[in-house]
Amino acid sequence: MNRAAATFRADVENALAQGWCARSLYAAEGGRVVRVLLTGPDNQTRVESVVPDGEGSVPSIVDLAPAMGWDEREAHDLYGVGFAGHEPLRPLLDHAAPLESWTVPVRGHDPYQVAVGPIHAGVIESGHFRFHVVGDRILHLDARLFYKHRGLERAAQGSPPAAAMNVITRACAGCMVANSVAFATAAEQTLGLRATPELARARTFLLEIERVWNHLNDIAAVCAGVGMAAGNTYFLALTERARRLNMNLAGHRFLFGSVTIGRSDLVLDADALRSCAQELAEINAAVEVGWRELAFNASFQDRLDAIGIIDAPTVHRLGTVGPGARAAGVAEDIRAASPYPDYAGFVPVTPSTAAGDVRARLEQRVLELRQSFALLCTLLDTGPVMPALAVADTDRQPIGIGFVESPRGATSCVIESAGDLVARVRLRTGSYANWPAVAHAAAGNLLPDFPLINKSFELCYACADR
Amino acid sequence: MFTLLRDLRRLRRDLDLPRPDHGRSLAIRHVDAGSCNGCEHELTLTVGPHYDLQRFGLGIVASPRHADVLLVTGTVTTRMRDALLLAYHAMPEPRRVAALGNCALGINTLGTPDALIGPVSDVLPVDLTIPGCPPTPDQIADALLTLIDGHVPST
Repeated sequence: MNRAAATFRADVENALAQGWCARSLYAAEGGRVVRVLLTGPDNQTRVESVVPDGEGSVPSIVDLAPAMGWDEREAHDLYGVGFAGHEPLRPLLDHAAPLESWTVPVRGHDPYQVAVGPIHAGVIESGHFRFHVVGDRILHLDARLFYKHRGLERAAQGSPPAAAMNVITRACAGCMVANSVAFATAAEQTLGLRATPELARARTFLLEIERVWNHLNDIAAVCAGVGMAAGNTYFLALTERARRLNMNLAGHRFLFGSVTIGRSDLVLDADALRSCAQELAEINAAVEVGWRELAFNASFQDRLDAIGIIDAPTVHRLGTVGPGARAAGVAEDIRAASPYPDYAGFVPVTPSTAAGDVRARLEQRVLELRQSFALLCTLLDTGPVMPALAVADTDRQPIGIGFVESPRGATSCVIESAGDLVARVRLRTGSYANWPAVAHAAAGNLLPDFPLINKSFELCYACADR
Repeated sequence: MFTLLRDLRRLRRDLDLPRPDHGRSLAIRHVDAGSCNGCEHELTLTVGPHYDLQRFGLGIVASPRHADVLLVTGTVTTRMRDALLLAYHAMPEPRRVAALGNCALGINTLGTPDALIGPVSDVLPVDLTIPGCPPTPDQIADALLTLIDGHVPST
């Protein structure tokens, strides 16, 4: 281990001891450097770098920050960087690797494997789950994703920020706005731009409207996970209403093209505000009706308790974010520290019984929907939304960092610029952060409960695979 | 539960979707070969009450063994190619392939060439194309209905 490498590990260790948190790790400059993005207790950010030694290896920090496990495996598979101390360094994107190399050996009396996917039985994204079970009991789950890896980051690199954004934000339709705002924020830092309150307001509106349709979709998904058709259909109908609202407001059912670097073209005049407020109020009321019905449905309720538990210590260890973390009582939310004025005073909610199980994650969606409806209501009361521009009054940063709370949790986007081009972009979404938690939550549960556990997180494969 | 069913019944009555004039069916197996999940989100809603694709006898089935149509989304990635071919070869004949969404059609393909194979037509014979980014549930439903013999559009 050369001196620079030793210092890197010590620096990261010291930072973590002082309450900093590792948020993203990636190889840059074609694998000639590895960087870690850290956030501090007061939401400061810093980036630590380390250069691989003669054998192309850097010291692993996976023992200090287990949440960076997937990041190190990705950097190895895509850029050939070794991570000394990360043993075994299992393949993540290398699908040619033999089964034994990416699964955990499970031994004992009668364990066997159940292989599911990449093609699933419903309308579901592609990914492979390798369950190690005895009878119906899951002992361990190895998830192999990245079937949908399109190489979007590499395709975006070498382009001007606007072109790069078009590529990278096509990663995922469900988190389009969140990923776009994270990218735009990072790009604006590299361009020396700062979002005005008007621009921030338009983006806050889009972020919350995206959260609303996603949470409606996710509640429908939990109903589907227990085979409750009435609940599933009811919340799908609400999802459709929210999707139509998107269309009316921004001209696209998934809000594609609604976020732009350095400006916003969103216009909501008095009429649009009124009809939007009316529709949101109706959806809000319908959510309450549906939620009450679910609460009094015994066969539905019977499936939710103590299933797929991710408790608070596990949240901290695995770096779980978003509704999954808050359902375990960890009240962390990027919005609480957002510089956007409309998020001022935002306090994350957690369920009354934050057990970190399927019930808590379901309740968390409803609590967050109420919060988003209230936020949107206040925002719409403030007056029309008009086109807005960022102002150029800050220094251009060589590395731009954007943080956004997506419907699935904290999403970071790091952009390294070279002149007017994007040299490296790393998008680390809430889904990417949370997939290890899904695998962890499955252990100890019954195989037939896995769809329910999976739906209670309802992560995007597209967001993780890129 | 009663309230949910009552509200859904009211919604169905208010929407008053036209009924098909004949009894036909088509079993669809969906495969995501590398999409952004937009096509999946819209496809999910085609079976919701606002579109109710089942009224035409169109259903999404759990296995390619049960399917008449393979409905493929996304630009085919290198990592999904083999699974896509397996699903196709598991289908009974006659079988049809529908490519859903611009990515599946090779329109404005995004990504690194070494991670992608290309549009669905590079891997399978495509019988039906459904453009859009993503196509709306209406557009998906209309396109799929053309695969049913003798179908007369009723909307």
